[in-house]
Amino acid sequence: MTYFVIFLGICFMLGVLAVASNPSPYYGVVGLVLASVVSCGWLMSLGVSFVSLALFMIYLGGMLVVFVYSVSLAADPYPEAWGNWRVVGYGLGFVLVVCVGVVLGGFVDFWKVGVSTVDSGGASLVRLDFGGVAVFYSWGVGLFLVAGWGLLLVLFVVLELVRGLSRGAIRAV
Amino acid sequence: MNPHAKLISSMSLIMGTSITISSNHWILAWTGLEINTLAIIPLISKSHHPRAIEAAVKYFLTQSTASALILFSSMSNAWSTGQWDITQLNHPTSCLLLTMAIAIKLGLVPFHFWFPEVLQGSSLTTALLLSTLMKLPPITLLLLTSQSLNPTLLTFLAISSALVGGWMGLNQTQTRKILAFSSISHLGWMIAIIAYNPQLTILTFALYTMMTTAVFLSLAQIKVLKLSTMLISWTKTPMLNATMMLTLLSLAGLPPLTGFMPKWLIIQELTKQEMTPTATIISMLSLLGLFFYLRLAYHSTITLPPNSSNHMKLWRTNKALSTLTAILTATSTSLLPLSPLIITMF
Repeated sequence: MTYFVIFLGICFMLGVLAVASNPSPYYGVVGLVLASVVSCGWLMSLGVSFVSLALFMIYLGGMLVVFVYSVSLAADPYPEAWGNWRVVGYGLGFVLVVCVGVVLGGFVDFWKVGVSTVDSGGASLVRLDFGGVAVFYSWGVGLFLVAGWGLLLVLFVVLELVRGLSRGAIRAV
Repeated sequence: MNPHAKLISSMSLIMGTSITISSNHWILAWTGLEINTLAIIPLISKSHHPRAIEAAVKYFLTQSTASALILFSSMSNAWSTGQWDITQLNHPTSCLLLTMAIAIKLGLVPFHFWFPEVLQGSSLTTALLLSTLMKLPPITLLLLTSQSLNPTLLTFLAISSALVGGWMGLNQTQTRKILAFSSISHLGWMIAIIAYNPQLTILTFALYTMMTTAVFLSLAQIKVLKLSTMLISWTKTPMLNATMMLTLLSLAGLPPLTGFMPKWLIIQELTKQEMTPTATIISMLSLLGLFFYLRLAYHSTITLPPNSSNHMKLWRTNKALSTLTAILTATSTSLLPLSPLIITMF
């Protein structure tokens, strides 16, 4: 089980590396998908299954899908994939950064590999994420309203930015 | 700009600032910072000029990076200490990350590159909001955690901000960029003293907000965006130009004007903490800023040579000056004798 979780962690780093090495967005989104799928598995190893499911559905099924549709509207004529020397250079640079981080931080101390679940192996009565959602709707209703307003504000900001077709902030494609 | 969108943006700015400065929990502080970032984006890009759009994009990218770093710092602290209290930031990596994140948020050197360009792309009123209101939540977070942060790093950020703010402002002709570098340099002074006497940071921030609001509002009244426009603006409002000279010199920190008060108290506190080289260096570096403030003040009060002295004030006058500008100008030039009272207020 520990080895599987370490494998998930390595796949996460590879997915993030795929994005950070700056290929064309078509290819970068592959890295995003890999990173989010694998991080869902890693979250489950921590014990927070609800958050993992929410990540899967909202991030992968909502935001990434919208992102892919938006990217398909603005395609490159000559997209740079991972065979391109520029992308390889960025990739090697980030691998170096990760190696330096592992050497300096230590695998377990800083990167928290091989730790137990969030509620210390079942010490609490309710799963922590489900309990958190319950608190969010009862005692934490202030934060709920603030978060709801923040999300509504994103909608208004985006609508204000693109209002006006070609006179808006973002050019009509 | 659409009045409804403007109302939503301004209400969200006030809400986001209030949430962050009144929070005890990191997640709530982060939420307020994100709401602030989102709400000011339409205000920056409202003129729909390509420079304004670029300024909005740069602002969004830098502030989002900084917010992500704040979240990472608070989460690593929560992992190792088990609590999310802002004042109890103990893990050393978290403290370092938070210092860097707040430096990016505020525009301290070496993360200052976005600030002049964002200010140049926005209108004068939005630039005022960016320099004053948007600095309040990050400084609040820094004040709450100031005892845990590395004083050497803070002093380095402070001295380099004073250096770059003074030096880079020397070659500018656009008033918004000059005020951007003035803001960077003043932030350097605020950060210099935060580890030793946070009340002086609050005092410096309050006085800086007052003085820079007076300058921004005066500039917005006569719509002066560059030095050449300021040369010929004296005919429109001669009294405003004369008082703007005093307000600019107050920003520069010249006695007997108000702007001298924070610098004086900071130098005194630094000397008490046996940091005399820091005090000397930072006050020498503010001399660089004095040059461009003097140049602005000179341009503000000059009466152009080709015109004779009979060339009087234009007979078509602007609408009456707002009371707020008058009050802020008066306070930003005359508060120095009240220093003992003001020190007790903070």
